[in-house]
Amino acid sequence: MNRASELTLVGISNGQMLEKRLPGDLAMWFFILAELTVFAILFIGFAVSEQLNSVMFIEGKAKLHQISGLINTLTLITSSFFVALALNAMHKGEGKKSAKLLVIAKLIACVYIAVKIWEYMSLFDQNIDIETNTFFTLYFMITFFHLMHVLLGMVILIFITAKAAKNEYNASNISGFESGASYWHMVDMLWIILFPLIYVI
Amino acid sequence: MHPINSNKKNTLSWLWLMALTVISTFIGLVINNKALFIVSVLFIVFLKGQQIIDIFMELSQAPKFWRRLLLGYVTLLPIIIGFIYIL
Repeated sequence: MNRASELTLVGISNGQMLEKRLPGDLAMWFFILAELTVFAILFIGFAVSEQLNSVMFIEGKAKLHQISGLINTLTLITSSFFVALALNAMHKGEGKKSAKLLVIAKLIACVYIAVKIWEYMSLFDQNIDIETNTFFTLYFMITFFHLMHVLLGMVILIFITAKAAKNEYNASNISGFESGASYWHMVDMLWIILFPLIYVI
Repeated sequence: MHPINSNKKNTLSWLWLMALTVISTFIGLVINNKALFIVSVLFIVFLKGQQIIDIFMELSQAPKFWRRLLLGYVTLLPIIIGFIYIL
């Protein structure tokens, strides 16, 4: 008996170790594709608008706090990293450890939310809002839409954490965890495109 | 093939993503050419997207169709955005 067959891993049979499998539910992946499509339209719309109003967009970007965008990128990447560690722990049947890692991921995501709110408030203090000009209309629309996805992702992670803490995931029932983790990684991936588009370029 | 990414692999990917993020934020300080700057930043977007897809999402162990679909997204979208900005 080789080492692989000796391991008992939640959700993965020996047969599955030899075949490629999509983590999570297929329905979640279609949902992720739909979300990615919506954001792609927004990102392309932003880039086209910038080409049409380059002076306005340069002035608008100058009023944003680039370091807060950097901090938010680092927090989302780190949060995603802890979710990946949590899934690894769950695959090994370590429900309690997995739940703890998910709590850390959510706490780090709270930093993102706090920074985003601070950023909005500092713009409001400068009398800048969604109606100021095209740049800020798109800025608030895209970043707030993304923020809503972060909040939805956190709600999903809360459900997963509760189930993981009770060790409710098992070999035939771990796709819910994988689906939630994949959604969270998608939220991270979208910000990775959003950040350079709005804050860097 | 083992379908589970080790924590070491995840950690290396996380460090690489953090480093790429810092590089993309400040790359404008060393690259003065606008087109080269935009291409560099968008190439980093692709590199980061590939890490998230293959390592965090574990799609390197998924059916090729899904991996290619997601990799296509982080490849095509930066190319389209790049064309809009540069042309």
